[in-house]
Amino acid sequence: MNVDRRTLFKMAAAGCVGVAGVRKAHALAMQSTDDKFGLLYDATRCIGCKACVTACTAANGLAPEPGPSAGLYQAPEALSAHTKNIIKLYRSADGSEWSYMKQQCMHCADPACVLACPLSALTKGDFGIVQWNGTTCLGCRCCQIACPFNIPKFEWSQVNPKVVKCELCRHRLAVGKDPACTAVCPRQAVIFGKREDLLADAHRRIAGNPGKYFQNRVYGEHDGGGTQSLYLSHVAFTKLGLPDLGNRSLASGVREVQENVYQHGITPVAVYTALVAITHRVWHKHRQHSAQEAEELGLEEQI
Amino acid sequence: MRPQWRRMLQISEPVLTRPFWLMVTLAALGLVLCTVREFVGLHAVTALNDGYSWGLFKNFNVTTLTALGSGGYAMALLTYVCNQGRFHSLMRTALLTSILSYTVGMLALAVDIGRPWNLFFMVDPWTWNPHSILWEVAFCMTAYVMIALDFENLAPLLEGLEDENMPKLVRDLAGYAKRFVKTAYPYGVALALALPTMHQSSLGSLMLLGGTRVHPLWQTHLLPLFYVVMAFILGIAFVELVLMASCAVWRRPVDNRLLASLSNIVSWTTAVWLAIRFGDIAMRGQLGAVLRFDFYGILFLSETALIAVPAMVLRSESRRLDPSRAFPWLCVLTIGGMLYRYTPTTIAFRPGEGYHYFPSVPELLISTGFIALAMMGYLFTVKRFAILPATLEMSVQAAVTKSIKKEKAA
Repeated sequence: MNVDRRTLFKMAAAGCVGVAGVRKAHALAMQSTDDKFGLLYDATRCIGCKACVTACTAANGLAPEPGPSAGLYQAPEALSAHTKNIIKLYRSADGSEWSYMKQQCMHCADPACVLACPLSALTKGDFGIVQWNGTTCLGCRCCQIACPFNIPKFEWSQVNPKVVKCELCRHRLAVGKDPACTAVCPRQAVIFGKREDLLADAHRRIAGNPGKYFQNRVYGEHDGGGTQSLYLSHVAFTKLGLPDLGNRSLASGVREVQENVYQHGITPVAVYTALVAITHRVWHKHRQHSAQEAEELGLEEQI
Repeated sequence: MRPQWRRMLQISEPVLTRPFWLMVTLAALGLVLCTVREFVGLHAVTALNDGYSWGLFKNFNVTTLTALGSGGYAMALLTYVCNQGRFHSLMRTALLTSILSYTVGMLALAVDIGRPWNLFFMVDPWTWNPHSILWEVAFCMTAYVMIALDFENLAPLLEGLEDENMPKLVRDLAGYAKRFVKTAYPYGVALALALPTMHQSSLGSLMLLGGTRVHPLWQTHLLPLFYVVMAFILGIAFVELVLMASCAVWRRPVDNRLLASLSNIVSWTTAVWLAIRFGDIAMRGQLGAVLRFDFYGILFLSETALIAVPAMVLRSESRRLDPSRAFPWLCVLTIGGMLYRYTPTTIAFRPGEGYHYFPSVPELLISTGFIALAMMGYLFTVKRFAILPATLEMSVQAAVTKSIKKEKAA
């Protein structure tokens, strides 16, 4: 058999992808939908090829954004209603420190957007994916106010606008495929898997490379109450646009304030009852007085 | 003798005046732009973007202007809970400002949301997310404006329907309805007190969702408290301003004492509000941020000055008793309070990533259009129904004039 170098590469690549694909698809099929799945992005591995950006656009049927390239390339500048996933470059002022950064939904364990959504259009679905359902969405954009990562985007120019955000390619997961961004990444800078496996992997990398990673920690393990998209980086996370949120989710703080006041609806009922009792007395007294006065003057009583 | 407001009396003047037509024009312009927005989407009409996804409609027409329209809430709290019957003659004015500002606020919200056809789900309990603050705000506001406020505002309408010119059936029905209103009033008032307490505070809780993106001088767990107390202050101040302006325009006697005691309440409540505000900032260790004199520090200082100085000035009784001197200071206080309600939602909201927001011209025109619509409602109602307070002498005189006219006609 005459096999040249090019064909050999192709066969090898196809074999690898095939094996990996089957293994992953099988692994997912065996999982309970309660298990949390997510992404692990290692900024030190990313080469900024943006294959994931293009793959995401294609897999999700989004319109390309040529940006400043005057129609030549798929070159979005930021997350938008046409871009659910983006690679950005961070470079310090003197150029000595730089890193790529991948941005997409963090799929928080306790998402603020889900708490904020008035008609449950955003929910935590199978595999812990934060997903949007247009049937009940009001387009109120409370999710945009609530998301600490500025992820949900809105189709401002549409008459029938949708909320656009990464849903971990749940339509691909349903047919046994990995999310598009992880499937095409040539350096495995972003990988897909069960959250606990990804965390174990991340900690192995940190242990194997002491001093390589920022603070020797995984962003998203505890940040903001934990996220399913996890990050490893050699530069400070805040420089990559990942905010310092503490270990508590925003949603739990807001819920606490509300619950302290409302006490599962007991407070409003108690307040209403008390108000009825008070106003009843005051109103009765007032009526007596005003009726008497109106009679004396020969005028109609005014409520 | 000092004039004393005891009853309510309509303004006997035609509705279709020049200022009314000006309001009609502004409202029509806004309405046309609203229609355009339904056909071209939000982007073409507003400056809203993914960073500042709530703009003028939500943050100004609803969050800020319903605070001005909290007069019905604040005055009912004073009259029917704190047993201050002397304010009864001001209740109708307060309730009218409330129903108008809430109604146009809700209309603005309907223009602002992107998928209004799904509003239908607000009646489907299976889609509700009762943990959502916005759900609570929407639910309580709708219930307030569609049930509680309508009930409270029924009395002048029913009196109008009882007029002798009306057919007998209408008069009889109005009479029954009036009897029902009289009996059920305490339940309605209690509802009209409970609902705004919830939604006016929840308008503050909404910004808790902004998290660290709201500047620490404004972001605090006490936001709901600050918002509801500020609504109380602004509600009273606005009722005072409306009364002063109306009396000046239509040359009606002013009950200086009554207004002065309201100013007194406004001034004291503001003092308490400021004390908690500074206490909270000190407790959270943010006093340094005040004295940094950066943009936010200066914004905070100006906002606080606009609230604190009038409150201090209104401590003088002679100033409170003179509407021409109290009016400008109440205006300043109102502007400061409105600024406080608006700041956390937009000016001190920092989404980062180079997002900017300044309302576009059509957005400003729509917002103005809704305000003009409320003004139209006010001008019409005070001339057709007994809303504005009057003295006993005026009421007796009006009744006599009416009976003389009737006799002449007969």
